Amino acid sequence: MGKTIILNGSPRAPKSNSKRYADIFLEHSKGTADYMDIRKNNHGEICEMLDGYTDVLLAFPLYADGIPVTLLDFLKALESAPPDKKPVISVMINCGFIESSQNDTAIRMVELFCRQNGYTFGSVLKIGSGEAILDTPFRVFVNSKIKKLYTSISTGKYGTFDVAMPISKSLFVKASTKFWIEYGKKNGVTEKEMRAMEIEG
Amino acid sequence: MKLILSDRPLDIRPEDFKEIKYIDLSSLNISNCVGCFGCWTKTPGKCVIRDDAVSVYPLIAQSDEIIYVSRIKYGGYDTVMKTMLERAIPVQQAFIQILDGETHHVQRDVALKKAKIMAYGCTNEEEKDVFRQLIGRNAKNMNFKNHEVVFTSEEDVCDMVSKEVEKWEKQ
Repeated sequence: MGKTIILNGSPRAPKSNSKRYADIFLEHSKGTADYMDIRKNNHGEICEMLDGYTDVLLAFPLYADGIPVTLLDFLKALESAPPDKKPVISVMINCGFIESSQNDTAIRMVELFCRQNGYTFGSVLKIGSGEAILDTPFRVFVNSKIKKLYTSISTGKYGTFDVAMPISKSLFVKASTKFWIEYGKKNGVTEKEMRAMEIEG
Repeated sequence: MKLILSDRPLDIRPEDFKEIKYIDLSSLNISNCVGCFGCWTKTPGKCVIRDDAVSVYPLIAQSDEIIYVSRIKYGGYDTVMKTMLERAIPVQQAFIQILDGETHHVQRDVALKKAKIMAYGCTNEEEKDVFRQLIGRNAKNMNFKNHEVVFTSEEDVCDMVSKEVEKWEKQ
């Protein structure tokens, strides 16, 4: 069995949803996987470590329709300092929209990196409604898909999986509106204030 | 208002034209978005990081014609432009709506715009195809009325932008 490292490419890595998804993967891995946040100042350290791993799982959110700058800059560093033995690269991506397919462009970017730099592209888990799903009863579906993702990577039988809240789009809009109103309320900001049309007004 | 947003210096003289603003992002101090959701849930419409980005995203929002000039990396914008676009999230609300059958964020006061993307540094057809897909996604999330992607070289990009500015002058 190989060894996997999860690299968290979220801009808010330690407090991110990507970290919560990574934690579920770690539970399933039972000690066969490690975890690191990608930070501005640890690219070299991570590149050097990769020789010890057969698989890398990039965990990150969709950001402005693509991969976050945090991950982009790391991939550029990895291009400059590749490990001697290149691991298989898999992806676990989440977005706040209900359609997990909105992650597809960002996944293609990682595939392109792999093709351009001689890495084998492995498994994919694309998560829709990723901002809130872990705090709903639908968490069980996420747990199940992450287990499948883990199994696919650990057995080398790579595959593509997806998960999102199994509700209608209109119900999702209502639920997400409630979620964000509650989020603002914790900061003392009303729904009306959050709906301000002014920018830097 | 027309805006040229570039990730590199361009030899153009926008001061000749009242309606055209030109921003060289490489000359500005713009930090990475930290994903705090402050611009949605603490100070709506305003980023909590008060660097040069806060003078740029209102112009992106106001523009009804925009030219983006960016190097391409892995089928997406390279670091300079991508950093700015991530910091432009205050132009959207946290709230979600259904647009063309998909869920997207509600825009604040963002003008519907014609967008032209001058992309340089593409290595092959696959990378161009990924970038076109990205711009198709941007169109929905960045309020494009229509858009055009032009692939060019870094050497030629300045001339290409100058020609577009000439067209704007004649409008």
